[in-house]
Amino acid sequence: MYRYFISVGSFLLLTVSLGIAQEDTIDLSPKDSIVYQQSYGLRAGVDLSRPIMSSLDDNYTGFEIVADYRLMEDLYIATELGTEDRTKQEDLYNFTTTGSYLKIGVDKNTYANWYGEQNSIFYGGRLAFSSFSQTLNSYQYFNSNRYWSPDGFALGSTETEEFTGRTASWLEFVFGTKVELFSNIFMGASIRLGFLLSDSDNARFPNLWIPGFNKVTDDSRFGVGYNYSISYFLPLYKKKKKPETLPQGE
Amino acid sequence: MRNRATCFLFFLLAMGLSSCEKDDICVEGNTPLLVIDFINVAATTQLKNVNDLRVVGLGTTAVVNTTTDRTDVNTIRVPLKTNEDTTSFLLIRNSATNDAGAETGDVDTLMLSYERVEDFTSRACGFVVNYNNLSASLVGSADNWIDRALVVRAQVINSDSTHVQIFH
Repeated sequence: MYRYFISVGSFLLLTVSLGIAQEDTIDLSPKDSIVYQQSYGLRAGVDLSRPIMSSLDDNYTGFEIVADYRLMEDLYIATELGTEDRTKQEDLYNFTTTGSYLKIGVDKNTYANWYGEQNSIFYGGRLAFSSFSQTLNSYQYFNSNRYWSPDGFALGSTETEEFTGRTASWLEFVFGTKVELFSNIFMGASIRLGFLLSDSDNARFPNLWIPGFNKVTDDSRFGVGYNYSISYFLPLYKKKKKPETLPQGE
Repeated sequence: MRNRATCFLFFLLAMGLSSCEKDDICVEGNTPLLVIDFINVAATTQLKNVNDLRVVGLGTTAVVNTTTDRTDVNTIRVPLKTNEDTTSFLLIRNSATNDAGAETGDVDTLMLSYERVEDFTSRACGFVVNYNNLSASLVGSADNWIDRALVVRAQVINSDSTHVQIFH
C-alpha cells in the first residue's frame, strides 16, 4: 500500500516539477557577461640612451622625458621634453650647443594586440621646437696657403663667443615600438626623421647642431634621431574594446 | 601588411638620409690670395713682364710659395697675413745672387693694408678670412723701379680678378 502511494506521489511530484521546469525555456545563446575592457591612461618615462651617452661621452649631457596619453583605441597624444648640451670639435673650430626642446604630436598604433596585450608598433608625427645657445669656443682660419703660418692653420680666436636666444622648429616623422615588459612597465624605441622648418640667425656662426634635432647638414633640411625609453603606464579608466567587424563569408 | 611595408621603407629612407651627408672635406671656400698685375707705365692698358721677379714676404726669408721664383711674369698672386692688418712684400726685379750670396736685383717694398673679415663658409671649411678696404703703398726710396701702385678692387673675397695694379 505504501509502495503504491510512494510511486503515485513521486510520479505526481515529478510531473509537477517537470511542469515547472518547462516554464523556463533553456537559453541556448546566453549573453557573455565578461566584457573585454582596455586600459586608457597616461604613460610617462625617460629616455635611456641620453643618460648612458652622457656617462660615456665627456662632451655630451642629455636628458629626455617621454609621455603619451591614449586618446582612442589606437591613437596616442605623445610628447618629448628634453635638454642637451654638446661640445663638438671640428677640424678647425670647437663649439658647444646648449638648449632644450619640446616635441608634441600623435602616435598611431598599427599592432593588433592579442587578448590582454598592450604592445604597440607605431608611427607618428611631431611638431618640435628648440631654444638653445651656440658657443664658439675656438677656431682657426682655413687657408690652403701656409706661407705666413707654416706650422699649421692660423689661429683665429680662443675666446669663447656665445650666440644666445637661438630657436629652431622642425617636423618629425617617428617610427617606433613600445613593449610591455612587466605589468604597466614599457620599454620603447623609436627612430626619427626631422625636417627643419626654421632656424634663427646664422650670419656669423650657423646652427650646426640643434638639441633634439641633432646634426644639421649643409644644404639639407633633414636630421635623424632616436630614443630608447622606459616608461610607466598609469591606467586612468577602462573602455570596452570595439567589436571587430569580421568580413562576412558567403 | 601595408603598414609594415611603409614602416620598412621609412626605415630605409632614414638610413639613407643619415648616410648621404657631405664628406667633411673643405672644397667650397678658402682664404683668397691677392692678385697683382704688372702694368706698363707708358701704356696703362697693357700688362708688362717683370724680369726675373722674386717675391719675399717682409720679415721672412722664404720666397712666396705662390710664385715661380725668378721668372718673367706680369701677374702674381700673393697670400696676405690673417693675423695682422698689414702685409709687406719685397718685389725684386732682375733678381740674382752674387758670389757672396747677396741679392743684386732691384728691391722695392710694397705695403698692403686692409681690414680682415671673418667668414664662416661651411661646416667642413669653418672660418676663412676676407679682406676689405685694401690699400697699397710703396715704401719710398728714390730709385724705385715701381712707379706707383693702384688698388682696383678694395674687397678681396676671391682670387678671380685683379686687386692691385703695379705700374712700372
